Amino acid sequence: MSEMTQMLIPKIDNGIVIDHIPTGYGIAILEIIRRDPGMRDVVVTLGLNYRSTKFGKKDLIKLWVDDVPPRVMQHISLVCPGITIKRISDYRVEKRYVIRPPQIARNLLRCLNPSCVTNAESNVETCFTIVDAEAKKLKCAYCERVFPLSDLRPIVP
Amino acid sequence: MKRDLISVDDLTLADIQGYLDMASLLESVPDERKLTRLPGKIMMTMFFEPSTRTRLSFEAAMCRLGGRAIGFAGADATSVVKGESLVDTVRTVEHYADILVIRHPKEGTARVAGEISVRPVVNAGDGANQHPSQTLLDLYTIQKLYGRIGDLHIAFVGDLKYSRTVHSLIRALIKFSNLRFLLVSPESLRLPPYLIPPPAECANVTFQETRSLEDAIRSCDLIYMTRVQRERFPDLLEFERVKDAYCIDAGMLRDAPGHLRILHPLPRVNEIAYSVDRTTYASYFQQVQNGLIMRQAILLTLLGVTP
Repeated sequence: MSEMTQMLIPKIDNGIVIDHIPTGYGIAILEIIRRDPGMRDVVVTLGLNYRSTKFGKKDLIKLWVDDVPPRVMQHISLVCPGITIKRISDYRVEKRYVIRPPQIARNLLRCLNPSCVTNAESNVETCFTIVDAEAKKLKCAYCERVFPLSDLRPIVP
Repeated sequence: MKRDLISVDDLTLADIQGYLDMASLLESVPDERKLTRLPGKIMMTMFFEPSTRTRLSFEAAMCRLGGRAIGFAGADATSVVKGESLVDTVRTVEHYADILVIRHPKEGTARVAGEISVRPVVNAGDGANQHPSQTLLDLYTIQKLYGRIGDLHIAFVGDLKYSRTVHSLIRALIKFSNLRFLLVSPESLRLPPYLIPPPAECANVTFQETRSLEDAIRSCDLIYMTRVQRERFPDLLEFERVKDAYCIDAGMLRDAPGHLRILHPLPRVNEIAYSVDRTTYASYFQQVQNGLIMRQAILLTLLGVTP
């Protein structure tokens, strides 16, 4: 990371860094994070269009938080599979891993079909399977309709 | 492990062939022997939506196999009007019966019932999604008419947007090969794109669209007519505009090829004139007859009983 970049993004002492976000997706991922009630008060830094030796350009998010709920991480992995998560402890990268999308997203996203049973029965969980990972298309296991991931909204607990 | 019949997407080609073979076998079983197949067994019909053929044919099928049918037609007569959830309704009624047959306007309801119930569940129609028992009887009818299910040119006519029988049947047919589909519908009732699989997923199956019913009569082996379903339209003005878009009568069939057959899941309204009933093209009442056999095959298969 260049000196200029270091100035723009303050280092965090403890928290989570979501790195290698494809350019243009930073805001979308931040929206996913902000929708989760447990994440609303978290201090966040968003970096857009930073130079990346790996990808040319990238977005970046730093969160002053101990952990990101698994459902938020799952949703992020569906939108941007392959991004890097770094756990920072005392200014050092304590753990680094790449997130992969789940084959089944259970009770993470709301079905867009108003006639789907998951929108009629409050005690029925939603379930989507990935039918086209490249095109980011998901199929509702109940009404069996296929939707682009970008059309589906997360379930806010 | 218990078996359900929820969606044709869950069925392999071998599963479908199993149901077809069971139905075929049942045709040769004497009525007296059939009566000894399911004595003491109870089938629960849970119909939250109106039905004539599906409910009665399931009930008749159960009676013909020596079992009994209980249930309700319309949610008004149940505790659902008191606010009882579907989950609680299923968990209650499963104690009263050995197999559940469910129809519901909400899509995916039968899947939910299948997941929570220890009893086999049959989807008898869930909204605009699936109607697998109708699909199996349609496939059985096609096999009986042509001696095969592949190598056919099939037109689907009318409401291709909301017709669950069409959705189910197309999803089952694409498991077979060498099929050409001609989709005939008004613009507003076209087949949803998500039902047309990418070419790589179905061998030698092609889809074409037209607005002309005459094209279908001239070129197809089979015409699958559908009713434009008033109950599925959010906008009744749109329903009025398209309700009589495609009607077929005996005069239109004057120059039709001799091998053409017309199917319809019924009930019909205006889309097939009564004059067609007297022609050799009409096969929709054979479908009804095959429905009874297929539903017997479904009950026996899911309850693990041989014919």
